Amino acid sequence: MSRLFYKVFLWFWLSIVVASTTLMALTAVKHSRASRDEHWRDRFGPRVDLWARQEAEILDHEGTSALSKYVRSIESDPGIRNYLFEASGLGLLARQAPPLVLQTVASVTQSGAEAQFFARDRIIAEKVFGPSGKSYVVIVTFPHPSVLPRRLFQFLGEDLEGDGIIRLGAILLVAGLFCFWLARQITSPIDKLRLATREIANEHLNTRVDKKVTARRDELAELGRDFDRMAERIDALVTAQRQLLADVSHTLRSPLARLGVALGLARQRANPETSEHLDRIEREADRLNGLIGQLLTLARIDSKVDLQRKTVFDLGSLVQEVAADGDYEARSRGCAVRFTTSSECLVEGIPQMLRGAIENVVRNAVRHAPKGTNVEIAMDLKGVQSPSRATIHVRNQGTGVSAAELGSIFLPFHRSADGATLDPYGTGLGLAITERAFRFHGGTAIAANMPGGGLVVKLELPAIPSKSAD
Amino acid sequence: MELSAQMRKPTGLSGRRVLLADDDIELCQLISLYLEHEGFAVEAVHTGQEAVERALSGEHAIVVLDVMLPGMKGFEVLRYVRAQSRMPVLMLTARGDEQDRILGLEMGADDYLPKPFNPRELSARIDAILRRSRNDLTETRPAGAERIVVEDIELDKGGRMVRRAGEEVNLTTVEFDLLEEFLKSAGQVLPREEMVRNVLRREFSPFDRSIDTHVSNLRKKLGPTSDGLERIKGVRGIGYLYSLSRSSRGGQK
Repeated sequence: MSRLFYKVFLWFWLSIVVASTTLMALTAVKHSRASRDEHWRDRFGPRVDLWARQEAEILDHEGTSALSKYVRSIESDPGIRNYLFEASGLGLLARQAPPLVLQTVASVTQSGAEAQFFARDRIIAEKVFGPSGKSYVVIVTFPHPSVLPRRLFQFLGEDLEGDGIIRLGAILLVAGLFCFWLARQITSPIDKLRLATREIANEHLNTRVDKKVTARRDELAELGRDFDRMAERIDALVTAQRQLLADVSHTLRSPLARLGVALGLARQRANPETSEHLDRIEREADRLNGLIGQLLTLARIDSKVDLQRKTVFDLGSLVQEVAADGDYEARSRGCAVRFTTSSECLVEGIPQMLRGAIENVVRNAVRHAPKGTNVEIAMDLKGVQSPSRATIHVRNQGTGVSAAELGSIFLPFHRSADGATLDPYGTGLGLAITERAFRFHGGTAIAANMPGGGLVVKLELPAIPSKSAD
Repeated sequence: MELSAQMRKPTGLSGRRVLLADDDIELCQLISLYLEHEGFAVEAVHTGQEAVERALSGEHAIVVLDVMLPGMKGFEVLRYVRAQSRMPVLMLTARGDEQDRILGLEMGADDYLPKPFNPRELSARIDAILRRSRNDLTETRPAGAERIVVEDIELDKGGRMVRRAGEEVNLTTVEFDLLEEFLKSAGQVLPREEMVRNVLRREFSPFDRSIDTHVSNLRKKLGPTSDGLERIKGVRGIGYLYSLSRSSRGGQK
C-alpha cells in the first residue's frame, strides 16, 4: 500500500466522518430543543396557572402590597420575572415591563385563549378572573435556554451512551469500507503505472501497462494508453538503433574479410620495401576488426538473445582463468597479474559474457600498468546469507584517471581529457562492454583511484548464497 | 568459377585439397588465390547443399565452412557431414559471436577462425589440421595396433577408435588426440599451453578458450567414471587433469 493510498483513504474517510457527524449533531440539537420546549411547558405551565389564580385572589382580597410580597417569592427563582396587567393593558405592579412583554399583553387580551406559551422567548401568558370578576393578564418570563455548544456536548454525552455509539460506529465502518475501495480505485492504477515506468527505466523496454489499467474508462486509463504508446515508440527506436549498429557491423565484416585476404595476397608477393606499409595496413585492419567485434558484442548484450544461456557456475575459477591469461599477456610487458580469493562463489549468468567483461578490465589494467608492477585481482563474497554479492577488484599501479573521468571511462568511445591515450589499440568499447555486461547480470561496475596511486575497478554481481553457510 | 572447375580434376595435391564453402564469391576467389600460392588446391562452393554434396564426395582433405551460408546454415552442413564422415572441418565464425564458435566446436568442428581473419592464420590452421590427420594415416596404421587402456577407457590408435566399457564412443579428430594426450599422462596435470601446442598444434594465445571447449565436449562424451566422479578435472589457472580412481593408480599402457 502506497503513501498515496493512505492519504486518499484518510482524507476521504475523515471528511465523510466529519460531515456525517456534523449532520447528526445538528439534527440532534434541533430535536433536543423541541423536546426541551415541551419539557419547559409541562414543567411551568401548571405553576404559572396556579400563580396567576393566586395573584388574582390576593389582589382582589388583600391589595397590591400583599401581591408584591407574593410576586417577590415567585421571583426568588433566578431569572423569573412576573408581570400583572389589567385586561385594559394597565400594569398593576410598579415595574417597567420590557417591550416584548407589552406586545404579549396586547396579543393575549385580544385572543380568547386562557394560557399562551411563547417557547422561543420563554414567556407564558395567562388570562385569569379574580373573585371580583375582574380579568387580569399574568405574564411570566423565564431565562433563555443555554447556548448551543454546551447543548452539543450534552447531546454527545447523552447520545454516546445510547444508540448513538452504534450509529457512529456504523458511519465509521461504512465510510471506511467505501473510502478503502475508493482509494484503491485511484491508487492501484497509479501504482501499476509507476511499476511500468520503473521497468522501462530499467531498460525492460517491452514493458506495457497492466491491462486492468488501460481497460478502465477514465483519465488514468488514457494515461496508461499514452504510456504504452510512448513505450512502444521508445522500444522501436532503440531496437532500430541497435539493429542498425549490428547490421552495419555485420555488413562491414564482408569487405574487411576481403581486405584481409587481399592484404595476405599482397604480402605473398611483397618486397621488403613495401612490407613495412603492409604491416601498417594490417595493424589498421586488425583494429577495425577488433572494433567491429566489440560493437557486435555490445549489440549482443543489448539484444538479450543470450538470456536462455544462463547457467550457474563458479565465478572464482572463471576469474582465475582470466587472471592466468592476463598474466601470460602481462609477462611480455614485464608485469604480472596476481589473483587472490577467499571463498568459492557461485553466480548465475552467462559465463562467456562475464568472461569477456572481466577480461576487458584485466587487459585494460595490464595495458596501463607501469613496467615491472603487479596487477592485483581480489575476489570476495560479501554477505554470506542472501542477498550475497560477489565482488572483484582489479587494481593496477598506474597513474589512474582524473576524478572527473572516473564515471565516464565506462562510456563507449571515451577518450581521456588529455587526449594522449596510452592505448592506441584499445577500441574504446572494452569497459563499456564490461559495464553493460555487469548491468545485464544485475551487477555494477565502478572505478576509483587508489590513495597510494593506481586505478581500481570494482565489479559487483549478485551471488548465490553458499549452501554450507545455511 | 573457372578456378574451381579446373580444380575438380584429381591432381597430385590430393592431400592438400581444400573445399571452401562461403557465399561471398569474391572472398572465395581471393582465398583460393592465396591458398594456391601456399600450395593448396581449392574448390569453392557457395551454398549449403553444394557444400554437403562436395564434402561427402571424398575428394577433399578438409572443409573450410562459413557459418552463414544461404539455403542451409553452416551448422546444418556440419551436422550432415559429421553424420557420415570424420573429415576435418574448420569453421569460419562471426567475430563477436562467441556462441557460434562454441556451438561449432560442440558439433564436432576441428577448429574455428573468427571472420575477418588473417589468411596466414587460415593457412596455418589448415596445415595444422592436415598434419594431424596425416599422422593418423601414416604413423599409426603400419605400427599396428597400439592401444592405451586406462580403467574403463580403451583407445585404439590404429583403428582411431575409443571404447568405454566396451562400447564405442564417437570422437572427432581433435577429441581423439586430446584423449590420447590425457591417457598418456593420466593422473598428472596437463598445462593448457602444452595442450594447445600438442593437440591443436598452434602457439598458445591467452584468451583463446577453444581448448576448453574441446575438453568439455570430451568430458560430455565420456561421461563420469564408473564410481561417478568427474573424469577430467580442471586445475585452476594451470590446465586439466585426467583423474584415476584410487584402486587403479597409475595408468597402464
